[in-house]
Amino acid sequence: MRLLIVEDDAPLASGLQRILEAEGHAVDVTPRGEDAVAAASHEKFDLVILDIGLPQMDGFEVLRRLRGTAADKTGPTPVLVLTARDAVDDRVRGLDLGADDYMVKPFAMPELTARVRALLRRSQAHGGPRITHGPLMLDTVARRAFLRNEPLELAAREWAVLEVLLAKVEKIVSKESIIQAVAGWGDDLSPNAIEVYVSRLRSKLEPAGIRIRTVRGFGYMLEEFK
Amino acid sequence: MAGRSLRAHLLRLLLPPIAALLALGSHVRVGQTEYRFDLPPAVEQVLRTDRFDSIYYRVTSPAGLEIAGDAALPAPPGDAVAHNTTYQGQKVRVVSVQAPCGRSACNVLVGETMVKREQLARDLLLQSLFPDFLIALATLVIVWFGVKRGLQPLARLSEEIKARSAGDLRAIDAAGAPEETRPLVGALNGLLEEVSAASRKQQRFLADAAHQLRTPLAGLQAHTELALAQPMPDACRAQLEQVHRATIRTARLANQLLALARAEPGARSSSENINLKDLAGAEAETWVRQSLARDIDLGFELEPAPLAGDAFLLREALSNLVHNALEYSNRGARVTVRTGRRDGHAFLEVEDDGPGIAPEERAHVLERFYRVPGTPGTGSGLGLAIVREIAASHAASMFIADGSTGGCRVGITFPHG
Repeated sequence: MRLLIVEDDAPLASGLQRILEAEGHAVDVTPRGEDAVAAASHEKFDLVILDIGLPQMDGFEVLRRLRGTAADKTGPTPVLVLTARDAVDDRVRGLDLGADDYMVKPFAMPELTARVRALLRRSQAHGGPRITHGPLMLDTVARRAFLRNEPLELAAREWAVLEVLLAKVEKIVSKESIIQAVAGWGDDLSPNAIEVYVSRLRSKLEPAGIRIRTVRGFGYMLEEFK
Repeated sequence: MAGRSLRAHLLRLLLPPIAALLALGSHVRVGQTEYRFDLPPAVEQVLRTDRFDSIYYRVTSPAGLEIAGDAALPAPPGDAVAHNTTYQGQKVRVVSVQAPCGRSACNVLVGETMVKREQLARDLLLQSLFPDFLIALATLVIVWFGVKRGLQPLARLSEEIKARSAGDLRAIDAAGAPEETRPLVGALNGLLEEVSAASRKQQRFLADAAHQLRTPLAGLQAHTELALAQPMPDACRAQLEQVHRATIRTARLANQLLALARAEPGARSSSENINLKDLAGAEAETWVRQSLARDIDLGFELEPAPLAGDAFLLREALSNLVHNALEYSNRGARVTVRTGRRDGHAFLEVEDDGPGIAPEERAHVLERFYRVPGTPGTGSGLGLAIVREIAASHAASMFIADGSTGGCRVGITFPHG
């Protein structure tokens, strides 16, 4: 994947570059917002990591201009915003301007790489008919699931719950949001029913090393496949 | 009434001596060469009788010879008609009158002790003082009420200032203040503005400082983590791990100091409508990741808890409580985050089944930089102090209680919501 890092702090920028290159990405770095806008108008990046506190043209302005380009309108580039400020306003403003995720400095590298993977996955899956997660593959058009290339039988509601979890790998999904997402299936669902579907999914997926963690009193998290 | 009474008094006072004078004068008989005074004893008795005073008289011939009466009664000096003097040890008023006897005039003196006069003087004094006293009393009452009423705006002003929290640096409304106090209110507002400006400046400085610290710390953290991913001798790795831990601790300390500064009285904390349930839910992911690394079962019991407060500070309070619980619990421990309403009050709390906090340590752990002696780990001792400051900045109270299964339950109960 092609990644662009816009960060004026050289040690942090080089650190991020090396970590993301180690993940197998092609990474460009620029310390200037103006250069980032120019680069993005010539080339297509799969993800932009953007610092808000840039000299001269700040991150908000860069984000606004990135979102204004014609290429971006056809297939938006995911943007992960970095900031050293924790003002809630900054967060809201960044997300309003079209940032896809937001991280406050300093952050642990595994957290950053996890979020980068999630953003890339989301943008790749966007509109795509196939969702993959390790040995699991869901063909959303044919509505057929495969595990280690073997067909996997999933009941309609199991499929729906799994789709919700797959859309948010490494993110906590509350039981309420699962119920809301599956509610289109007719009669109302209780949190207990969701537990039943999740436990059935577990028994089918865990032998292949796919783990769904319970967050007590809150919901579930589909762990990243390792 | 006082006039009539006065006249009556005067009459009563003057009648006996006048009667005595007239009566005495008419009793002088004039012979060839001498004067005789024949006053029947019954008449003398009547003349000398008075309810309060003793009456004396003295009659002398034109030549000055004693004719009758009390020879020692002192006559007024010179041409005076009346005088006050002493007779037989009593204060006496003596009046002198010329009474015709033959071709010349005899001198008649009548004296009367001053009991009635003094009584009258006292009565007069009292009668004139009583209304004066009433007027004075009425004036006092009116002045008291007037002053009190007049100072009411001033009292309101001082109540308003007293009722303020230390963080309330808004200008005082001068419209309700009395004319005379306007310069004072103006000066006070000037001072408040200066303090408020200084506070804003400090907040900005702290925000900038935290911002400037975070970026290099992020770089430091990135490079130590990168280096740790490389193969290296064990001795190097152990040292690098120390550097990494110190980096994370420093970053956390920077965040905590910023939070402490923002919770400080006088800091401009924002107030918005918040639901603690949503606030905790939004942070759940970060905390769960931290708990996974420590193999701790982090659970949630989140019920709606709406209130008005500062989202950044309340998130920081909850994060500190969760961080503490995770930091001081052993592997496999159970930590539960709760929000909701209890007895009509919104609350947030974190319960763990760790070692707990001994009752005698509970007051100390709220002090800045205090750590319970013998505590493992590398905390700064700021966490609970921050939670307390944040509670105080929301007029809320912080509590430390025993957990239901050992350990402790630490949280904040809010006054409203």
